[in-house]
Amino acid sequence: MNLADLKPGEHGKITKMGALGSLKRRLMDMGVLVGEDIKVEKVAPLGDPIEVTIKNYNLSLRKKEAQGIEVEVIS
Amino acid sequence: MMQDTGYKIQDKDMHHASGIMHQRTITVAVAGNPNSGKSTLINAIAGTRLYVGNWPGVTVEKKSASFEYEGTNIKLVDLPGTYSLSPYTQEEIIARNYLVHEKPDAIINVVDATNLERNLYLTVQLLELGIPVVMALNIHDEALSKGYKIDIKTMEDILGIKVIPTVATKKTGLSDLLMAVTASTSGHNPKKLNYGSDIEVAASAVEKQIKNNYPQLLEKYPLRWLVFKLMEEDSHVMEELNIGDSVSFIEETTKHLKKAHGDDVESIMADERYALASGLTHEVLKKPEFRKMELTEKIDKIVLNRFLGIPIFLAAMWVVFKLTFDFSAPFADWIDAMTTGPFKRWAEAILGFIHAPAWTASLATDGIIAGVGFVLVFVPVIFAMMFFITFLEGSGYMARAAFVMDRAMHAIGLHGKSFIPMLLGFGCNVPAVYATRVLENPRDKALTSLLIPLMSCGARLPVYVVFIGAFFTAYAGTVLWSLYVMGIALAVLMGIIFKRTLFKGESPMFIMELPPYRMPSFRSLMIHTWEKGKHFLIKAGTYILAVSILVWFLLNLPWGIENKKDSYLGKMGQVIAPVLAPVGFGNWEAASSLVSGLIAKEIVVSTMGEIYVQKKDEKKEQPALTDDLKEMGTSFANAVKDSASNVISTFGIASLSSEESKEEKEERSPLRDVIKSKFTPLSAYAFITFVLLYMPCVVVAIAMRQEFGTWKWFGIAFAYQMALAWIVAFAIYQGGKLLGLG
Repeated sequence: MNLADLKPGEHGKITKMGALGSLKRRLMDMGVLVGEDIKVEKVAPLGDPIEVTIKNYNLSLRKKEAQGIEVEVIS
Repeated sequence: MMQDTGYKIQDKDMHHASGIMHQRTITVAVAGNPNSGKSTLINAIAGTRLYVGNWPGVTVEKKSASFEYEGTNIKLVDLPGTYSLSPYTQEEIIARNYLVHEKPDAIINVVDATNLERNLYLTVQLLELGIPVVMALNIHDEALSKGYKIDIKTMEDILGIKVIPTVATKKTGLSDLLMAVTASTSGHNPKKLNYGSDIEVAASAVEKQIKNNYPQLLEKYPLRWLVFKLMEEDSHVMEELNIGDSVSFIEETTKHLKKAHGDDVESIMADERYALASGLTHEVLKKPEFRKMELTEKIDKIVLNRFLGIPIFLAAMWVVFKLTFDFSAPFADWIDAMTTGPFKRWAEAILGFIHAPAWTASLATDGIIAGVGFVLVFVPVIFAMMFFITFLEGSGYMARAAFVMDRAMHAIGLHGKSFIPMLLGFGCNVPAVYATRVLENPRDKALTSLLIPLMSCGARLPVYVVFIGAFFTAYAGTVLWSLYVMGIALAVLMGIIFKRTLFKGESPMFIMELPPYRMPSFRSLMIHTWEKGKHFLIKAGTYILAVSILVWFLLNLPWGIENKKDSYLGKMGQVIAPVLAPVGFGNWEAASSLVSGLIAKEIVVSTMGEIYVQKKDEKKEQPALTDDLKEMGTSFANAVKDSASNVISTFGIASLSSEESKEEKEERSPLRDVIKSKFTPLSAYAFITFVLLYMPCVVVAIAMRQEFGTWKWFGIAFAYQMALAWIVAFAIYQGGKLLGLG
């Protein structure tokens, strides 16, 4: 399951940074790392992008970008 | 506040007077995350000494300032806000190249105290450079009010650097910061952080290789940084070093590392740097156990709400649009009235007095003074726009606007933030092009700028109004509306076409922080607005003036012609006319008017007026200095009043000033009569469509040149718009004729 599958309010733990190409390094620079807790806060009014909380700050990214981030849901 | 900080920067002269001759000069780079309050800090330190320019070869803003502090000359250089020093964005490359190649004497690292961990990630990277670092632990007040306890002493010990709590918005801690900076340059270099045995073992092996085989590199690069970049196989550094295949020793040394971690070295290093940052954060930061819901969350619950998000965004944009243009319009009108009124009269009087030849009077008034006036007319709107854009960015709402609109804008290959420049385009394309600087990615910027001219600006309105008044009075609203919609529809179409052709390939990512809402300091807003506005006035002003004088020559030369047909402009019109025949208006009058619209599209109307309508003998007004001065004063007071009442009425009834004043109606009625005899309704509609679409005006051209540093994008805009205008007008005219409308 990937980050784009999470619903607003759901928490996940990042298990793998998938085929993201140059995006991977950029995401890592923003603190999106394996093992990190991530929470989906909101989906934009038009359905894309999404807002997540990670490392105590808010980040937005497109669903297409979120699909490359593998997560497992934490309840 | 200012007194208790003891913050003071001496003027140079004072020091010379006190007899200190040998002064040390140090260069200090300011690095930090976006939204860390870095610009506010720089503004607070440097104030009006700030110089805003561009980094060489790119359009990223470069701010610097030189001043004296306690006997030391300090040169501050503001690096672009970055999250990291990896070479993936333009900003990161600039920051990194500056630090590595220009070797500043010290770095001020601005850190957002409310967001320690992510900010420390950059700090860790800065420490790799071996340059003395002083940390400005900024936004310290907000951290305290959140109940955060940050153990500064421990932080200093672990990092081996000075950490100074600051509140840039209140100018707190700046004196301590500058003191620490001047002291840091004569102290020892920062500590090496331990990256764990796996990395350190590999690093010392690479280090040994460099020392033995490539000692020449040690002079050029900071050693530890170079070692890490080689291990990461950083493509930029590899290319720069040009040591090509002989670096196989690196792969050899990092093989074990990669195998043990199951990842590439870049990712392992990023992980380790974050581990250091989060380890440090846990060590020094104590947060209250219960977190109350923060203001930002509360605002976002409403502002980004599924149903309310878009209406709120549109309402906010409407307010910004109205404020920008309504605030500035009366001042622009005042400047216009002054340059066409008193200034012109005075110049005529003076030149008449010294018996200057008629053509010099014409050049001075219609060429130079009109040109200066034309530049000045843009000043209020540019300043107003810069002010609101800076406010949107500084407050944190710009990121929300991008979040809300990204889906729609992405469909035509744009970024969520593109919406705002596009919207401003309806008022005037010029500030809109300048507003594209809110976009970080050069591709987004270029594409947005290409589409902005399709937004029907206020200057085109007079042309529509004259033609609609002549032919379509019965359904004026519908015709006017159709033009705006056509512009938007074509922007969507061209966006899709450009996305697939000129900008083929992966669209830039949308990985963007949504920073907490903060009130930008008024001082910071004013400094930004002033600096950017000044930039326009000096750089663009010169070009605009030159073009305006050129157009005067076209219109009036050869000197002494009776008929405008014989002027250079008229001759150009005659040459172009046949090309316009298939689109319905193949006469020199229309063609010449279109050429003169190069300056600004509303000039199409005044040129038509001059060509079609015989001028009545104007009564020469006798200039009276006292009357003129009085008029200037009262009309300026009126402008202030109008501006204020416009701003107030912004929140009342909408008033897009599309209606003509009574005077304008009377003035234009003879022109309407001529137009009625020269155009058919069909060719008139084709003509106003052409005016909507054909080439951006010269000021837009200059704005594009200034923003991109090359004429390339204007060239593309010019070419595609000419083609588009002709094709659409052709389709309308010929299609209409086929349908029997002509």
